[in-house]
Amino acid sequence: MEIKTLPIAELRKLLAAVSDHGKQHLIEVEADLLQTTFLLSEAIEKLSASFTAVHEAVCEQQQVLDALAAKYAIDKPVLEKLELFKSKIGDEVNVAVTSLQFQDLTSQLIARTIKRVNGLKDLLHEVESHSNEMDPNHEHEEIVKFLEEMSNSLQVGSHALSGGLRRSVGQKDMATGEIDLF
Amino acid sequence: MAKTILAVDDSGSLRQMVAFSLKAAGYDVVQAVDGQDGLNKAKEKTVDLVLTDQNMPIMDGLTLIKNLRELGSYQKVPILMLTTESSDEMKAKGKAAGANGWLVKPFDPKRLIEVVQKVIGS
Repeated sequence: MEIKTLPIAELRKLLAAVSDHGKQHLIEVEADLLQTTFLLSEAIEKLSASFTAVHEAVCEQQQVLDALAAKYAIDKPVLEKLELFKSKIGDEVNVAVTSLQFQDLTSQLIARTIKRVNGLKDLLHEVESHSNEMDPNHEHEEIVKFLEEMSNSLQVGSHALSGGLRRSVGQKDMATGEIDLF
Repeated sequence: MAKTILAVDDSGSLRQMVAFSLKAAGYDVVQAVDGQDGLNKAKEKTVDLVLTDQNMPIMDGLTLIKNLRELGSYQKVPILMLTTESSDEMKAKGKAAGANGWLVKPFDPKRLIEVVQKVIGS
């Protein structure tokens, strides 16, 4: 038996379901990402404040040690040990400052993902809108035209979405980046 | 008198780490939250070096550099980019806009200070 018409009502139902379920999941994804952003922001704020406070305290402690060393005769091995600690603390501070930049990188990645999620929601909304234009009374050719238009619109929308995003962050770890002087 | 560095970045935590590192090395730091804020602050007070991010809202780093280079007082002030961008294409754009160097994030404070000292002295 040759079928000349498409089951439009079922097709519309399917597209509406794809759109609704897709949008619902994307709303959840967006909410989770926003919560992650919030938690990371609060965490970095507290980490930075604690780090700065610890650094200030260590610097003051070092001044006290320097004053004591100037006032009293301290054995050379003890002084050498203190210098060693000072150097180690300096190295660890450097590592901490490099690592504490994680939030700048992760927030850029999350912002890019949220933008993509919102773009996908718009595309799914478009699918639903296009499917609503189809009617069981339409001729086969008209339905084909609607579906082609929908496909083209999705392609254009998807392309625009990718083009509108910031470049992705390329860093895969927290290793220090390269330096070029012109 | 301590030299002044303008640090432009939309990330508060990054600005804080830049300021922490530069202040520890004896520099004064003025902070700006985006390119437009950076341009306004650069007009208010001439600084010795500008350290700017690329991707920022309102005005990006390359636009900031072009605007600064159009100001008479900033034609020879060193400008360094500090960004996640690392492509040769972007570096070439930065150089064409008037940047004097390109640092890819994350930065190591010791190396940042070495570069700053090389460019503007201690």
